[in-house]
Amino acid sequence: MIELQGLTKTYAGKNVVEDVSMTLETGEFGVLIGPSGCGKSTTLKMINRLVPLSSGRIILNGDDVTELPAEQLRRRIGYAIQSTGLFPHWSVARNIATVPQLLKWSKSRIDDRVDELMAMFHLDPAEFRHKYPHQLSGGQAQRVGVARALAADPEVLLMDEPFGAVDPITREALQAEMRRVHGQTGKTIVFVTHDMDEALQLATRIALLNNGRLVQYDRPIEMMVKPADDFVREFFGQADLGLKLLSRRWVHQYQRPPSLTHHATLPGLDHCWRLDEAGRPIVLEGARLDDQHQHTDVRSEWIATPEMSMKEALSRMVWYRVMVLPVVDETGKLVGEVGMQGIMGIESNGGLHAGGPAS
Amino acid sequence: MSGAARSARQWRAASAGNGVLFVLIALLIALTLGMAQLEPLFRALFPDLGNPLYARDSFLNLMLAHIGLVLVSSLISVTIGIAAGLFVTRPVGREFEPMVSSLAAIGQTFPPAAVLAIAVPLAGFGFAPTIIALSLYGLLPVIQNTIAGLGTVPQTTLEAARGNGMSRWQILRRVELPLAMRVIIAGIRVSVIINIGTATIGSTVGAKSLGTPLIAGLVGNNLAYVIQGALLVGLLAIVTDLLFERLERRYSFGGQA
Repeated sequence: MIELQGLTKTYAGKNVVEDVSMTLETGEFGVLIGPSGCGKSTTLKMINRLVPLSSGRIILNGDDVTELPAEQLRRRIGYAIQSTGLFPHWSVARNIATVPQLLKWSKSRIDDRVDELMAMFHLDPAEFRHKYPHQLSGGQAQRVGVARALAADPEVLLMDEPFGAVDPITREALQAEMRRVHGQTGKTIVFVTHDMDEALQLATRIALLNNGRLVQYDRPIEMMVKPADDFVREFFGQADLGLKLLSRRWVHQYQRPPSLTHHATLPGLDHCWRLDEAGRPIVLEGARLDDQHQHTDVRSEWIATPEMSMKEALSRMVWYRVMVLPVVDETGKLVGEVGMQGIMGIESNGGLHAGGPAS
Repeated sequence: MSGAARSARQWRAASAGNGVLFVLIALLIALTLGMAQLEPLFRALFPDLGNPLYARDSFLNLMLAHIGLVLVSSLISVTIGIAAGLFVTRPVGREFEPMVSSLAAIGQTFPPAAVLAIAVPLAGFGFAPTIIALSLYGLLPVIQNTIAGLGTVPQTTLEAARGNGMSRWQILRRVELPLAMRVIIAGIRVSVIINIGTATIGSTVGAKSLGTPLIAGLVGNNLAYVIQGALLVGLLAIVTDLLFERLERRYSFGGQA
C-alpha cells in the first residue's frame, strides 16, 4: 500500500504540484493521467524522490519513507521509464540484475531471479541473456526495462510513460502483457500516461490531474459515469464514451450459452452453431446482416475469447458483418456466444454500474 | 546465422588489422635494433656525407628514452586531464567548466618550443622541462574528451541509474565512465600521438630522445641523421595509434560502433 499525503512541488515560487493526496491499496494499478504539464510525471518522480519534495509525506506499507536516504528508498521501488533507459554497455541479464546487484544478492539467487523474470516476459533466456540492448526490438527492450524494475521484488512499481515510444501494435501487446504481469504478481503499480485508452486498459484506479491538482481519483467506470466536474467529463470525451465503457468490459461478462438449435422466437436473430467433433465452431447458420439464411464458415478473425474487451468484440461484429460471435476457450472449444443485442441488453438495464475493474 | 556471418567478417577484418600491426611492430623493432645494418644503403644514398649513420648513441637507447618521456608526460596529462574533466562535470565543479576548458585551450595554443623556453629557466635543462612542456601540451585533448565523453551519456540512462537506486559514485563508476571511455580514450590517443611528435623538440634543451639525431642532423646539415630519427618517430606514432584504435574499439557499444 502506498499513501501520498499532501505532495507539493514548488519551482521558482510556482506550485507545479499542489497538495496531491491519494492512497493506493496493495495490488491496485493506479494511473496518473492529465494534459501535458499537469504535474503527473513530477508527482510520480516525487514518489522515488528523483524530484525532491517541497512538502508532503510518503507512506510505504505503513513506513514513513519521506526521510529515508533516496538510494535506499529507490531500491524498494521499481522504476521503468520511456525508451527504457537500459544500460547500453550491459547485457540483458546484467541490466535486469541491476538492483539485486546493488542489494548484494548472491550470484545464484540473481541468476535464478533473472531467468524467472525473462520467462515471465516471454524472453527465452538462452537467446536473450547475453544480448545487448541495441540488439533488441523496441518491444523487447521495453520488456527488459519492466523486468529490471521488478527484479528485486519491489513494494511498488513506478512507470513513467513506459510505452510512449513504441509503435501502436507493440504498445497494445505490451499493455496486454502488463495486465497479465500485474495479475500474476499482484504488484502495486503507479503508472503515468497521457493516453486515455491506455489508462482504461490498465487502471484499477485513475487519478486525473490538472494544473498540478488532483481533480478526481476513482475507479475508471465511476469517473466515466460520475465525473466530478466538466473538466473530467471533457477529458474522458463524451463522443465515444459508450465505446470507452465497452473497452472496460470483458466478453465473459456478456457471454451467454451458445445456441445449438434453431428457434424462431427472435425473428431475424435466429441462428445456430455447427460444431466439429472436438466441439469447435465451424459454421454459423443465420445471424448475418445481409442474408438471414446464409451459412457462414467461422473464421479465426471473428472468434472471441472470454478475456477480450467488448469494444474489440463489437468491432469484429461490425467489420465481419455478423450479429453474434462464438466465444471459445484456449483449446478452441465453443463455450458461449456474445451478440449485438446482448450489449444493448445489459447496458439498458442498469449495466453501467455492473462492470468492475479487470480482474 | 547473420550473427555468425557478422562475427566471421569482424574476425577477418580484425585479423587483417592484426597483420598490418604485426608487420609495423616488427619493422619498428628491426629498425631500432638494426639501423647499423643499413649503413651501406645510407652511404649509397648520401655519398657526400662522411658519416651517414648516427652513432653517438644507440637507437635502442634513444627509443627507450623517447618512450620514457612520452609515458611519463602522458601519465601526467591523463591523470590531471581526467581528474579535471570529472571535477567540472560534477555538481560541485560545474561552474569551473568554462575556466578549465579555456585554460586547457590556451595551453594548447602555445607553441611547444615556447613552453620549453619558459620551462627551462624554471626547471633547468634536460628531462624535467620537456616533461612539463609535453604534459601541458597533452592536457587539452584529454580534458576536452573527458567532458565530451561524459556528455554523451544519455539523460534517460542517468535517470534510470538514479531511479534504480545507484549512488553518485556507483553511477560514475558503473555507468558514466564505461560509456564515456571510448571518447576519453580517443582523447588520450590524440594526446599521446601529439607527445610522440613533440618529444623530439625536447632534444633542443638536452633531453635524450629520437629527436637527438634529428636535431643533430638539422644542425649539422646531415639529412641521413634526420631521416633515421624521423623514420623511427613516425613508425612509433603509427604503431601507437593502431594500438589505441584497437583499445577504443573494445569500448564501443551498439549504436556507437
